[in-house]
Amino acid sequence: MPNLNINGRSMSVDAANDTPLLWVIREQLQMTGTKFGCGAGLCGACTVHVNGEAVRSCQTQVGDAVGKKITTIEGLSAKGDHPLQKAWILEQVPQCGYCQSGQIMQAASLLSKNPNPTKDEVVAHMDGNLCRCMTYSRIQKAIMRAASEMRTASNAGTERRAT
Amino acid sequence: MNTHVKTPPTDLSRRSFLVGSAATGLVLGYAAVPGIDQALAAPSGFEPSVWYSIAPDGLVTVTCGKADMGQHIASTMAQIVAEELGASWKDMRVQLASNDPKFNDPVLGAQITGGSWSTMMNFDAMSRAGAAGRTALTEAAAASMGVPAGELVVRNSTVSHPKSKKSMSFADIVKSGKITKTFTPDELKAIKLKTPDQYTMVGVSVPQLDIPPKTNGAAKYGIDVMLPGMVYGKVVTPPVRFGATVKSVDDAAAKKVPGFIKAITLDDKTGSTSGWVVAVANTYANARKAADALKISYDNGPNAKLSSQSLIDEAKRLQKLDDSGQFFVKDGDTAAAFGTAAKVLEAEYTTSINIHAPLEPMNATAEFKGDILHIYSGNQFATRSGAIAAGAAGIDPKFVVMHQMWLGGGFGRRLDADMMVPAVQAAKAVGKPVKVIYSRENDMTMDYSRPLTFQKVKAGLDGDGKLIALNHDVVSAWPTQRWGIPDFLSPSVDKKGPLDAFTVNGADFFYSVPNHNVRAIKNEMAHNATPSGQLRSVAPGWTFWAVESMIDELAHAAGQDPAQYRIALLDGKGKNDGGAQRLRSTLLAAMGMAGYGTSKLPKGEGMGVACVSSQERATASWTACVAHVAVSASGEVKVKKLTVATDVGMQVHPDNIRAQVEGAALWGLSLAMYEKATLKDGGIEQTNFDTYTPLRMSQTPEVAVNVIANGDKPTGVGEPAVTVIAPALANAIFNACGARIRSLPITAEAVKANMKA
Repeated sequence: MPNLNINGRSMSVDAANDTPLLWVIREQLQMTGTKFGCGAGLCGACTVHVNGEAVRSCQTQVGDAVGKKITTIEGLSAKGDHPLQKAWILEQVPQCGYCQSGQIMQAASLLSKNPNPTKDEVVAHMDGNLCRCMTYSRIQKAIMRAASEMRTASNAGTERRAT
Repeated sequence: MNTHVKTPPTDLSRRSFLVGSAATGLVLGYAAVPGIDQALAAPSGFEPSVWYSIAPDGLVTVTCGKADMGQHIASTMAQIVAEELGASWKDMRVQLASNDPKFNDPVLGAQITGGSWSTMMNFDAMSRAGAAGRTALTEAAAASMGVPAGELVVRNSTVSHPKSKKSMSFADIVKSGKITKTFTPDELKAIKLKTPDQYTMVGVSVPQLDIPPKTNGAAKYGIDVMLPGMVYGKVVTPPVRFGATVKSVDDAAAKKVPGFIKAITLDDKTGSTSGWVVAVANTYANARKAADALKISYDNGPNAKLSSQSLIDEAKRLQKLDDSGQFFVKDGDTAAAFGTAAKVLEAEYTTSINIHAPLEPMNATAEFKGDILHIYSGNQFATRSGAIAAGAAGIDPKFVVMHQMWLGGGFGRRLDADMMVPAVQAAKAVGKPVKVIYSRENDMTMDYSRPLTFQKVKAGLDGDGKLIALNHDVVSAWPTQRWGIPDFLSPSVDKKGPLDAFTVNGADFFYSVPNHNVRAIKNEMAHNATPSGQLRSVAPGWTFWAVESMIDELAHAAGQDPAQYRIALLDGKGKNDGGAQRLRSTLLAAMGMAGYGTSKLPKGEGMGVACVSSQERATASWTACVAHVAVSASGEVKVKKLTVATDVGMQVHPDNIRAQVEGAALWGLSLAMYEKATLKDGGIEQTNFDTYTPLRMSQTPEVAVNVIANGDKPTGVGEPAVTVIAPALANAIFNACGARIRSLPITAEAVKANMKA
């Protein structure tokens, strides 16, 4: 019985090692924010973080996730207030919303490494995530807004520490 | 005009409208009271319905009878109610209706979401429901305060009396239990609604109520339903789209899969599926393994040799026959006019099969509980889908409760009910609740797709280049006829029986053409081999492709600017009065925004225009596009910018309109350049997003949207902008490089092959 470290908690699951992580998260752990879209790593709806990297949970076997730190949309922030989530609301990004957990998780992995991405870097990082409602321009705007917020917060923190 | 659109709208005569009050809260709706939870748990037709309720804490919960697939229609309904009710936006909540007929659309008389109809057809009913609530609250507050009701002001969920400075919140009034006012249908009709200049909420981009739960994983879609004791089903679909039968199922290997329960061959008397098997197991992963392990032999049926080429060959054969099809438009005498024409042009336009591919694959969860069949699924047509579920179960539709969920994309796909059949029959066979989820491969190959279409257009010009005659033949499968609901068909002009106007809408345009025929021809072969559906924008997605391309070809043949040529045709004479002028103004707006004709573009670049009256003549939004493209020597098309103007009458939520129009325009681009499905050996060849390739972020151009709203009734915005893009692009490509493209999707090869040397 694999033991998973997910959203900061240790959880035991009953699944064969070759089971896609996606279905374990959704069915056994009943965290349904991570979505099934294509089952082939082509759409990004199932994106989660494993050790901080954005991965497609439909292509990740549960056995390979054991001992690693898994984060889903439910665990991205304590109160749904990650700068990206706030920006998603301010820019009114979602239409149907089905792809947006994956979009946010994909974007979060970018901003954690690159706090000041160019538009081209955003496009290159996000191009594997399909949005069938085609909210792409709002996704871009929200990522830029969140990046800016995070830089401002980080600068403010630095200044406070400095004084 | 299609018979399903009944004007004037909102016949309330069959319903009584009651405003009741109890300690549990104030409930407003057609007929009597109880709680939503009961309504959801009860068989259809048993519980009365409600549009909204106000709880003792003052929260106003609106029940939305429309499917919310990302158009934020639930939030829009709440906004319209809140405007007349006088509620504060922070107090508004929404929930999704069951299939109780009391939640039927007040104009359409069914629960169906499509056609970009929802706002236009519910605005009046929701406004009156809100106003009735305000009246009742005001009268109760007046009694409590001992002041005349006429002196009270309702704002921000509070009823106040400025003279005495007394005030009561909605919560206070509901808690007082003093609301007794009821409304007869006549009283409801007589309610004086606000005039647009009095609006404080309609026209404001309030935060959409469904967005926060769509940023933290909390929103529940059909695929997210979890029921106690539930097991999972994975369908196995045959190699052909339709017509197969299962000869045998060998489950020996599947039995070795842990958690496997049973494989069920569907017995589908509803005709929604053919040759399907569903593998049921304790988890979806195991159901997939079991499904893969099944050895099934099929009789692939009568369509097993058909290809896209067969369908187009058949369409061309049918079009050539004089007695094919039925007339949708027959004005003047085209044959005589062609005899006098100075110039006659003919052209053929085609579109490929297209797949909806909403990102949430089709799914449904079925549970038998006592006499009641519960279905959990995001669906656009609960009235029909409930009946299909009943048909699959062999029970009366009144015993089916449809639990509506948020839709992970609809685009017309979820008007259909095929997913109900495996869920219902699996649940029945295993005696447990079953959630059936299609794989992406099932979803793509079994789509009720946009049909392959073939159109032949013949046009006659007089000596001045004026369009005097047009014959337009449209050959396709008939998606809406497939539903078998007579009200959704339209009489033919030549009285040859009803036709499917959802294959020709748009061809009855607002240009003045004295001699004009439109013939709707059913491609029976395509209809049987590729049962088709309503894909975002439906017929105008192909009719305007032909019309707006041909108008451009005619303008060039006449040596005139294509935009000015259109403006001249939109003279507003006779039956086109009103619509033509609005479309003309919209086209001018798009031209102005894009700078059309104001500067010389670099070599290899071009701008093209198109303007449309989607969706139907009776329900049109007026939409125009200027597309700006750059074409390379190898035929590669880069879309530099799409400028879209649309006249929507009235804006309920300006930001949402922009979001919808932009999404629709990008859908138009995706269909025009990136999406193509093909039939081979009776089956759809594309199975996932590697071969069926909707637009991605890197392919997204700038889209400039200009919304025109002059205070007329609100029109729809979810679909119309889809239809204007493909012709605008093709017209731009022609202006850029001289290549006239008549087949969708547009490919670099076709552009290069048609370029002028």
